[in-house]
Amino acid sequence: MKTKIGVYICHCGGNISDYVDVEKVKEAVAKEDGVLMSRTTVFACADSSQNEMIADIKENNIEALVVASCSPKLHLPTFQAVAERAGLNKFNYVHANIREQVSWPHSDDKEGATAKAIQIVRAAIAKVRLSEAIEPVEIKTQQSVLVIGAGVAGMKAATSLSKMGIKVHLVEKEHFIGGRISHWDVLCTTDETGKELVTRLYNEIITDKNITLYTGTELVESAGSKGDFKAKLKVTPRYVKDMCDKDALAKAIDVCPVEVKDEFNFNITTRKAIYHNFPSEYPQAAVIDMKNCTRCGECEKICKFIDLNQQEENVEIRVGTILVATGFDPYTPQSSEFGYDVIDNVITLPQFKRLVANSDKELVWNNKKINSISYIYCVGSRQPEGENKYCSRYCCTTTIYSAIKTAEKFAGINQYHITRGVRTYGKQEALYFKALKSGQVFLQSADDDLPKVESKNNQTIVKVNDVLTNKQNIEIETDLVVLVTGMVPRKNANISEILKIPKGRDSFYNEIHMKLRPVETVIDGVTIAGASQGPKNVVESINSALSAAIKSYSFVCNDTLMVEPLVAEIDSDLCTWCGDCQDICEFDAISKVQLDGKDVAQVNFSVCKGCGHCLPVCKTNAIQLKNFSDDEVEHMIDVLANEI
Amino acid sequence: MAKTDLKFGKKLKKYGAIDFNACYNCGTCTAVCDLANKDVSFPRNMVRASVLGTSEDVKSSLKPWLCYYCGECTTFCPQEAKPGELMMSLRRYLTSRYDWTGLSGVFYRNTVAYIIGFLLIIAGVLGLYFSNIFDQEEMMHYGHYFEMFAIAGVFAFILLPNIIRMWKYTVWDTVKFFNIKVYFGSLKELLVHMFTQKRTLSCGTERENKVWWIQHLVLVIGYMSLLVITVFLDWFSTDYMVVNLAGYLVSFFIFAITFLFIIKRVKKKDEKTTFSHPSDWFFVIWLFFMGFSAFLVRIFVDLDILENNFWMYLFHIIILVQWALIIVPFGKWTHFLYRSFAMYFDDIVTKANK
Repeated sequence: MKTKIGVYICHCGGNISDYVDVEKVKEAVAKEDGVLMSRTTVFACADSSQNEMIADIKENNIEALVVASCSPKLHLPTFQAVAERAGLNKFNYVHANIREQVSWPHSDDKEGATAKAIQIVRAAIAKVRLSEAIEPVEIKTQQSVLVIGAGVAGMKAATSLSKMGIKVHLVEKEHFIGGRISHWDVLCTTDETGKELVTRLYNEIITDKNITLYTGTELVESAGSKGDFKAKLKVTPRYVKDMCDKDALAKAIDVCPVEVKDEFNFNITTRKAIYHNFPSEYPQAAVIDMKNCTRCGECEKICKFIDLNQQEENVEIRVGTILVATGFDPYTPQSSEFGYDVIDNVITLPQFKRLVANSDKELVWNNKKINSISYIYCVGSRQPEGENKYCSRYCCTTTIYSAIKTAEKFAGINQYHITRGVRTYGKQEALYFKALKSGQVFLQSADDDLPKVESKNNQTIVKVNDVLTNKQNIEIETDLVVLVTGMVPRKNANISEILKIPKGRDSFYNEIHMKLRPVETVIDGVTIAGASQGPKNVVESINSALSAAIKSYSFVCNDTLMVEPLVAEIDSDLCTWCGDCQDICEFDAISKVQLDGKDVAQVNFSVCKGCGHCLPVCKTNAIQLKNFSDDEVEHMIDVLANEI
Repeated sequence: MAKTDLKFGKKLKKYGAIDFNACYNCGTCTAVCDLANKDVSFPRNMVRASVLGTSEDVKSSLKPWLCYYCGECTTFCPQEAKPGELMMSLRRYLTSRYDWTGLSGVFYRNTVAYIIGFLLIIAGVLGLYFSNIFDQEEMMHYGHYFEMFAIAGVFAFILLPNIIRMWKYTVWDTVKFFNIKVYFGSLKELLVHMFTQKRTLSCGTERENKVWWIQHLVLVIGYMSLLVITVFLDWFSTDYMVVNLAGYLVSFFIFAITFLFIIKRVKKKDEKTTFSHPSDWFFVIWLFFMGFSAFLVRIFVDLDILENNFWMYLFHIIILVQWALIIVPFGKWTHFLYRSFAMYFDDIVTKANK
């Protein structure tokens, strides 16, 4: 119980005092129990006022402080800092909002406003009277970061962290790094190839002593919290030893009887179960795909570097924070969506990009030379009917860029773009202009009237009711239909379950605040980057990766980490362990422990968010929230319910 | 239903169209056009049809003729797609579509064809003269006959069938409408627009457009007067003072105004004169020489020196024959007819739709 309370009523230069009789408030609250000092001030937030307050507190040995002024969103931290500078604990300060909640909304009723202001300040005094000093929790940190996903975002984040002196564990599920950009040939707007970018980043990573790269590796378990996570990794072997004779390996690949669709080329080509790296894939070592391998042993006979008996390994690491950059999957159209799967010259944009990259002099599909291409945009994005309402951001630009490159590589191809409105934002607009000028045709379908793909007498026809031609029905005879598929989240449910990262309505990982906290998740110590967070192009992915790297660095740059102490507390005498609190906790902060031979709940302070969800479910009322105890809140309600 | 055909756009480029592919369909051109309204909207939809290559939509449209090329669409186009010049090219394209002989298209697409045509005519006229079939007097006599027969023949065998084709494409194929009363009632439109070109007055807001309209009107009236004076009043042989002076006056107007037009095309100060197709040059230059050579011929007659300087008449008759056999039936001259008939047909189509 605080008995020396100081109260300041702010005029806010007339914003408050024009409608609230601040002198009357001052006098009314001066009579409250424990109030030693009650004053008014013209601008409480002014430097001079702050210094006066500090002097007052020190001179009068004030134990607790209330400032009645504007919204706590504006100046709560200001006056908490005043309290701390005067030698108080910041939780012995309570803020009373008499501007947004009183003077502004009640400017028509001065008497009523004054009465309400008195009540609000009294309630704040009631709370501060019972306030306790709370000290932040200190955690010892692991000065290392786990980066999940070795795509462009993950790799860039890893090198950036390493340069700041932080150890990085870079984990990639696939046996080759590079993620999605390794698939792409030239990239706009620099005309560099995906291979060039991947090579550059890979060379940085393998020569960097701070970075440990794990390929074929997945996160399978994670425990702990910000500052100290224990992560368990499962490492799948390559079954091919690093030092390998190239000729023998080539023969071994030759004899492999298993032929499967090649995911690197988005299934337009095939590969063997033992396959060599692609031109843009690193590390440059072959791998056996055990999902498809029949273990016939033919390759082992030819090449002594192959060992089908290599075993999976589990690795446990401790890191201070986890950066998730798991990227995206291209949307796979439904069967018969715009003729996909049904008409054989309907392919997706990733397939088309691989086709162009793999073709030399002529563009040929199904043994037929391609003379005209129709691109249907927004497949799997901005769906009027389906789940994916969002725009995938990169597809308009990449399609137009691909079309320009296709025109440069293969002369005389007519190209039609059936868009839903072109979104080549920023500098990329220049590409749109270039495509237009070169005679590529852009049509636009309405959201509720999508184009149709039909096949008649071996001729594929795209029918569009073109918005730009007064919704006239336009028929395009075409040799190839390219479905411009957008981005969907990677199919890796495990990671979001293991780390409990919340997802947004679009099923991508969600940040805390799109603008103000764009790479943090509500799981403390877990950051997100790249297209795992939502559709992004390479530039945007790298921007977010660098931002997540800096944020991660801020968690682990010191030996110890201070955590906000506003958490739930269990009274083990009252707790009878029913488990309800553990069930309702979204953050896995509550666990069962043995205490004096009795099962009780325990709160992990570094994980608890202080949300208060566990409080009402506790049957024995054993849980209290620090700084919001039952006593404090009930005391405030009593005051508010009883006018003087 | 309309099929796309990207060859159409490439073809239009031979008729002088440039950069129209850059259009991103903002519609600024239509918004700034003083002649477009909510019922008859252009030029964006014509640019669109050209980009998509829906040539049947262009063929059946009167809109290119309803544009009088103030050039504001081109000035304001954010993509620099030059819609005004496209409309001009579409008029050339339509002229060749209407022409049953197909020669208009040949001339428009190949400047060489024009030159060959002109050379053949020079050879023919000089051939006739030097083969001594005619003496000077007879040459002038037959020259006069030629004018009459050329006018009648070109009109009967080329221009009339072409106007009927224009009617078929733009009226009959689109609205299938025939009603004597309406066709007769709308004739007023034809006559008014043919003899006043008053639509130019509401085209564009610049003062220069009004000045241009007056010049053009004087030129049209002067040209038709010269036709009457030389063909029916036989200016070169007349003794009537009034006819003679009238001849001088109108031929002066013709060469003076066409001279101004040529200067404008050289200076390229406004949109409409910036892009000159060979057919535009031939039109103004030949018209200039027509007026100027007629003027000189009559001076030579009045000074009584023509006999010794008969080359003057030969020059005049070569220009005249080239004009009458190439530029009138297959060149830019036809815009005089198609523009006014377009107003007539448009009125009929509007009434049919009601």
